[in-house]
Amino acid sequence: MTSVISPEATGSIARPPMLKVVAFLCNWCSYAGADKAGTNQLAIPPELSVVRVMCSGRVEPTLILEAFQKGADGVMVLACHPGDCHYKEGNLRAFCRAELLERLIPQLGVDPLRFRFDYISAAESDKFAQITRSFVDGLSRIQKTAAAR
Amino acid sequence: MSANDRAGRTATILCNCSGIISGQIAWDQVQDHLAEHPSRPLFRVDDLACGQDNLEALAEWLRAEQPARVVVAACSPREHLETFRGMMRKAGLNPYLLQMVNVREQVSWVTPDPAEATEKAERLVRGALERVQLHTPLAERSVPVQTRVAVIGAGPAGMQAALTLARAGREVVLIERESFLGGLPVRFEELFPHLECGPCLLEPLMGDILHGALSERIRLLDLSEVAQVKGAFGNYILSVQRRPRYVTEQCIGCMECSAACPGRRPDPWNTRGELAAIQVPFSGALPSIPHIDAASCLHLQGGTCDACVQACPVEGAITLDQAPERLEVEVGAIILATGALEKEGVPAAFAGLPDTLSAYAMERLLASNGPTEGRIETPEGRPPASVAIVQCAGSLDPAEAAYCSGTCCQAALKYEHMLHQKEPALPVTRLVREQVAPGLDAAHLAAHGSVPVRYAGPSDLSVEGAGDSRLIRVTSTGATVPAELIVLCRPIVPGAGTPAAAHTFEVGTTPEGFLAPRHGLSAPCTSLRMGIYLAGSARGPGDLREAFASGTAAAGLALSDLVEGRDLAISPERAEVRETDCSGCQTCLPVCPYSALTWDADLRVARVADLLCMSCGTCVAACPSGAITGHGFTRDMLRHELEGVLA
Repeated sequence: MTSVISPEATGSIARPPMLKVVAFLCNWCSYAGADKAGTNQLAIPPELSVVRVMCSGRVEPTLILEAFQKGADGVMVLACHPGDCHYKEGNLRAFCRAELLERLIPQLGVDPLRFRFDYISAAESDKFAQITRSFVDGLSRIQKTAAAR
Repeated sequence: MSANDRAGRTATILCNCSGIISGQIAWDQVQDHLAEHPSRPLFRVDDLACGQDNLEALAEWLRAEQPARVVVAACSPREHLETFRGMMRKAGLNPYLLQMVNVREQVSWVTPDPAEATEKAERLVRGALERVQLHTPLAERSVPVQTRVAVIGAGPAGMQAALTLARAGREVVLIERESFLGGLPVRFEELFPHLECGPCLLEPLMGDILHGALSERIRLLDLSEVAQVKGAFGNYILSVQRRPRYVTEQCIGCMECSAACPGRRPDPWNTRGELAAIQVPFSGALPSIPHIDAASCLHLQGGTCDACVQACPVEGAITLDQAPERLEVEVGAIILATGALEKEGVPAAFAGLPDTLSAYAMERLLASNGPTEGRIETPEGRPPASVAIVQCAGSLDPAEAAYCSGTCCQAALKYEHMLHQKEPALPVTRLVREQVAPGLDAAHLAAHGSVPVRYAGPSDLSVEGAGDSRLIRVTSTGATVPAELIVLCRPIVPGAGTPAAAHTFEVGTTPEGFLAPRHGLSAPCTSLRMGIYLAGSARGPGDLREAFASGTAAAGLALSDLVEGRDLAISPERAEVRETDCSGCQTCLPVCPYSALTWDADLRVARVADLLCMSCGTCVAACPSGAITGHGFTRDMLRHELEGVLA
C-alpha cells in the first residue's frame, strides 16, 4: 500500500504521493477501448480512476469543475470519434463543452493542461495507454514545477 | 452479528477471477482499509463470482443477508453487468441497486505493481460504495410493439418485401415518391439475362399490391415521401407528406383527359418528347390513373382551364382542388428500398455531341411503349448506320465513380443482343474498360460472337466526324468504332430518394452515398439503426436478382425481429424531467439526438417521451436547472463516485 505522504515530508528519497486523476469514459467507445487495453495488458497509469458514463455528452462542465474542487490533479473526458457516437452526436456536445471549459478553467486558476478532452475508439487501446500516460506525465511536471516555486 | 446489524449494509462481492484479479490485488488490504466505511460494507470474496454455481450461491447469500445495496468488484460491466443484475433478481433485490467495479480489465491487467493495483482497486471500490448509496430501485417495464412495417420505395425490392410481409399476415405501408409502381425495370422492355419483358415480370407483383387478398394488408401511399421519423425500433412514427394526384380512384383509365389537356411538359420517363400535364407517365404504368403535373397544368398555375374536367366521363374523378396531405403512420420496423439511378451528364469526350443516349434512354428506345414504340432511331428520327455502346463511361474513374457499377455489362450485352434481333445488319460495337459478366446466365448473351473493343480510360477515347460517318477512336490502340448513335453506360449512383432517406432515417451512408449496411458481408440488409432494414440497390449497384433476394431478406429480418406479442423491454435508466424544477428554458429540446424531449406549452415544462429516450444523458448534462434526472447516472451518483475515488 502506497501511503500518501506530503511532499515536504518526503524530501528527495521517498516516492511522491500518487496523483489523483479522473477520466470520464463513455460506455461504447472509450470505456471499451480502456477494457481492450486490459485485454492487451498494456500499462495504464495507476493514478487514473475511470468513471463510466453512457455517453460523453452526459458529463456536464460543473461535474469536471467539482472534480477539481474535490482534489483531482487532472480530469479527462474521452469520447467516441466524431461520427462514431452511439447516441449520434453526444460526443459533439461533449466537444463543445470541452472547448468552453478550456477557456474557463485558466480564469479559475487551474492550469489548462490539467484538463484533456480526446477521442478514443473501442479499438484504440494503444492510444488510450499513450494519452493517459502522457497526461499523467504532464501532471507530474506541473506538480514538480509548483513544488520548485 | 445479529440480523439487525446486518440490515442496511452494502454487500460487497470481491472476485478473484481465479487468481487473475487476486494475483495483483490484495483483497484483504482493501477490506481492512474500507472496513469502517460509512456504507458498512459486508465483504465476501469469491474465487469466480460469475460461475453458474457461484451465482446461485451468491443469490442465496444475498437473500439471507438482505443488504440495502450491492457492489461487485470483478470484470468489466460491459461483460457481466447483466449477469450480476440477474443475480440480483434471483435474490429478490432490485437489479439497479447494484454497482460494478471493473478491477480486471481496468486494474489488475493494466497495473504491473501489485501495491499500486491494490491502492487503485481500493479507490474504485470506495467510489462504488459511495455511489451505490444513491441508487434507488428502478422499475423495469415493457411495451407492446407495433408490428406494422413501412416499406419505402415500390421498386422490385420494395414490392417483394411488402408482399413477403403481407403473406406473413403483416400490415404494410408501402410509400412511393412517384405516381406509379415498379421502379426502374418496369420501364425496361426486356430483362437480363433471359429477355423476359420487365412489365410482364413485375405486373403480377403490382397486381397483388393493388388488388386481391394481399392488397388488403398493403396500404399504398404513392406520390409520398417521409418527412420526419420519430421513435425507435418497435414504435416508429413516420410523418408522410403526400402530394395530390388530382385524380381519384373513381378514374376508369380512359385517358380522355390527356387528349384534351393543352398543358405540355418534357417527358422525363422517355427522355424525349412531351407529355400532357395530365397523363400516365408511360403506357402500362400502374395504378392506371393519370396524375396532374402541377407545374405544367394551366389551371393549377392560376388559369381557368378545365379541359380535363370537361372531357372526363366520370363526374368527380378529377379534383383540381385536392390539397397535399400530411399523414402519420405508426410502424414497428422500416425497410428502405429507395433504389439507384444512372448518373446524369456525359464524360468530357462526348460533351455536347448529338445522338448520344444514356443507358436508360436506350432502354426506353428499345421499349415498345417507349418514344418510338421500339424502333431504333436517332433523336432526329433517322435509323442509325451504326451503334457504339460505351461501357464504364464514368465507372472505374475516380473523378466520377471509382467503383464498377456491376450491372452495365449485363445491360450492354442485352442491348447488343436486342439491336441484333431488331436490325441484323446494324453494326453494334461495345467499348469496355473491363468486362464483368459472371454467373450461370451471362454466357448465352455473350455467345453470339460479340467481341468488345477495349479502351484504357476516359482520356483514351475521342469522337471524330459526324452523322453516319462518325466514329470513336481509341488512342492507345488506334482502333476505330463506327458510332452514329452512341450509348453511354453511365455509373450507377444512389437513387433520387436515397440521400433524403439516409438523412431522414439517420442510417448512415457509404462514401459513395448508398445506404450503409451494418456489415457488408454478414449483415448486408441490416442498417446501422435497430429496426431499419435495407433492400435493393439503395445499398449499392445491383441487379434484379439481388433486388428480389434482398427484398425477401429484409422482410425476413423484420419478421424475425418484430414478433406479435413479444414486448419490447424499456430500460428504466432513462431521463426524467422533475417538472417542479423545470424553468421552461427549453435548452434540452434541441440537444436530444432522438427528439425524445417534448414541450408542454400549457404547463411550460419539458417532458421526456419514455419510448424515445435512449438514456445517453445529454439532456441531463445540458439542463441549467438540474431538473432532469438521468436514472442510473444521476448527478449525485456521479458526485459521490468522484468523492469516493478522490478521497
